[in-house]
Amino acid sequence: MGRPQLENAATFLAAFLFLISAPPARAADPNLCAACHGENGNSANPAVPSLAQQPAQFISTALFMFREGNRKDPQMSPMAEKLSNAEMNELAAYFSKQKADAPKHKSKQENAAAGPGLAKKFNCSQCHGPQLLGQQHIPRIAGQQYEYVLAQLKAFKAQTRADIDGNMTSAAQRLSPQEIEVLADYLAGLGAQ
Amino acid sequence: MKLTATLIAAALAAPAFAQDKPAAEAPSWHGGKPPAMAESTLHPFAPHMTGRAAKDLPLNTLKVPAGFKVEAWVDGIPEARSLALGDNGTVFVSNRNAKNVYAVIDKGGKREVKTILKGLDSPNGIVFNKGTLYVAERGRILRYDGIEGKLDNPGEPKVVVDKLDPNRQAGHFWKYLAMGPDGKLYFNIGAPGNIVMPTYMEASIMRVDPNKGTLETVAQGVRNSVGIAFNPKNKDVWFTNHGRDWAGNDVPNDTLHRVPIKSTVPNFGYPFCHQGNVQDPDYGKYHSCAEFAKPALLLGAHIAPLGLKFYNGKMFPAEYQNNIFIAMHGSWNREIKQGYNVMRVKVDEKGNASRPEPFLTGFLQDEKADPPMWGRPVDILVLKDGSMLVSDDYNGVIYRITHGK
Repeated sequence: MGRPQLENAATFLAAFLFLISAPPARAADPNLCAACHGENGNSANPAVPSLAQQPAQFISTALFMFREGNRKDPQMSPMAEKLSNAEMNELAAYFSKQKADAPKHKSKQENAAAGPGLAKKFNCSQCHGPQLLGQQHIPRIAGQQYEYVLAQLKAFKAQTRADIDGNMTSAAQRLSPQEIEVLADYLAGLGAQ
Repeated sequence: MKLTATLIAAALAAPAFAQDKPAAEAPSWHGGKPPAMAESTLHPFAPHMTGRAAKDLPLNTLKVPAGFKVEAWVDGIPEARSLALGDNGTVFVSNRNAKNVYAVIDKGGKREVKTILKGLDSPNGIVFNKGTLYVAERGRILRYDGIEGKLDNPGEPKVVVDKLDPNRQAGHFWKYLAMGPDGKLYFNIGAPGNIVMPTYMEASIMRVDPNKGTLETVAQGVRNSVGIAFNPKNKDVWFTNHGRDWAGNDVPNDTLHRVPIKSTVPNFGYPFCHQGNVQDPDYGKYHSCAEFAKPALLLGAHIAPLGLKFYNGKMFPAEYQNNIFIAMHGSWNREIKQGYNVMRVKVDEKGNASRPEPFLTGFLQDEKADPPMWGRPVDILVLKDGSMLVSDDYNGVIYRITHGK
């Protein structure tokens, strides 16, 4: 865990320096997001989610929830606080149009084999779509960063992660800690094509 | 003094944050799903919580009858739900999932939007009467007196009635609010889920005296109403009602109901009987449909009728006088989608309703797609000049329909 956290701090610092050094940058500049979320929204940090090729409505809804305090995060909350609805829509439109890179994460063979069955059994594909690419306010989880997915599923199960309609909190209740590991490892290695 | 005010504000805000701990049980809309439909991908549609700009919407697909015109009147009001009109022309707009009430001030062709109330608990119901804006949260009805004179600082409200949601209902907790010709506030208390046995006061239409806070029941066995209006000619109470989900694509119908303002309390049958003649697959064995009052009109399955208004403005042609207009939010629990329009219902001299016909259409793009629509009508308001506003919570836009010129 030490390494990624360090990286996390470094990218956060980069974003911070960017913020104070850049000429009066608009809060809705995608480059500000890229400091942590990666170039074109393809994250290189396992703890930070990729934004590329996410449904626009999912991105704008997530930003809305950070700004309104439904979701809280020491890095995201202050970023979202400055954004107007129109700026959130702009960012959402931009990142939804970026192409997802092929995942760098390599799933364990046994998890890649067990993943599709679990995704069906626990109704992942029912809402996230047959290819798990997301739709409307529901995110793409195919190829999403491993640590991020792991943390979200754990938080949904612990009822500490708000979701707009309550579906994920309820869906995560049936997952065992081991199944959460398998799903996160499977999803992180899944191509988003 | 200022500190006290801050503390009070913080205390008032607390419950709104407390609700942010998500519940572990499945969202209530899953309730009553038969095992055969466990893998159904039907789902309610989430609104764009940041709204969408009118310029980005396919407004040219909207259709109204010949001689009428429809245009976007204002955008940038995320999750625009119920509408109310102030004496000075202020248009008030509410939220359901979000927590605000907005005021729109028309400044001769340009509209200014102000967020006047924040941090409310699902403030879906609003109505304006004699200088006062009434707001129905999920559990309370509040009054903001003299609101139009202090839009920038409405101050603390008075509570008309409290404890309307003692169990924090899982579903249908939002209220619609209307002012009756008897000076009483009419509102719904929905059933707490799709198909469940309601407790005392749930699944009803109620009214409250805004000065005394005393409650009366208007109708029972009403699953969930999100629209109440009064026939100006004979004061009949009309309201819309949503039938249960997961019982089929074509049954039961959503319904329109009519109750004389002075009446014994009719029971419309929920959860035992739907649309007056369909026994519920689960609860139907306990009571026969023969025991219950009948709806005035069947509107279509899952079509989701929300706000309704009698039209008595000066702008539309004479044949539209005293017609009912109903905003259909549109179906989600149906393979082939329908609704997403505003329907017109003629009411005859005896006060009976005719078959609905489409008035504003074009939001529905592909009845088999997900999502099938680009906008969803919620509530209707007639302005002083006789033009009609229609709110759309999916985009946070309000449309205006005019006739002539």
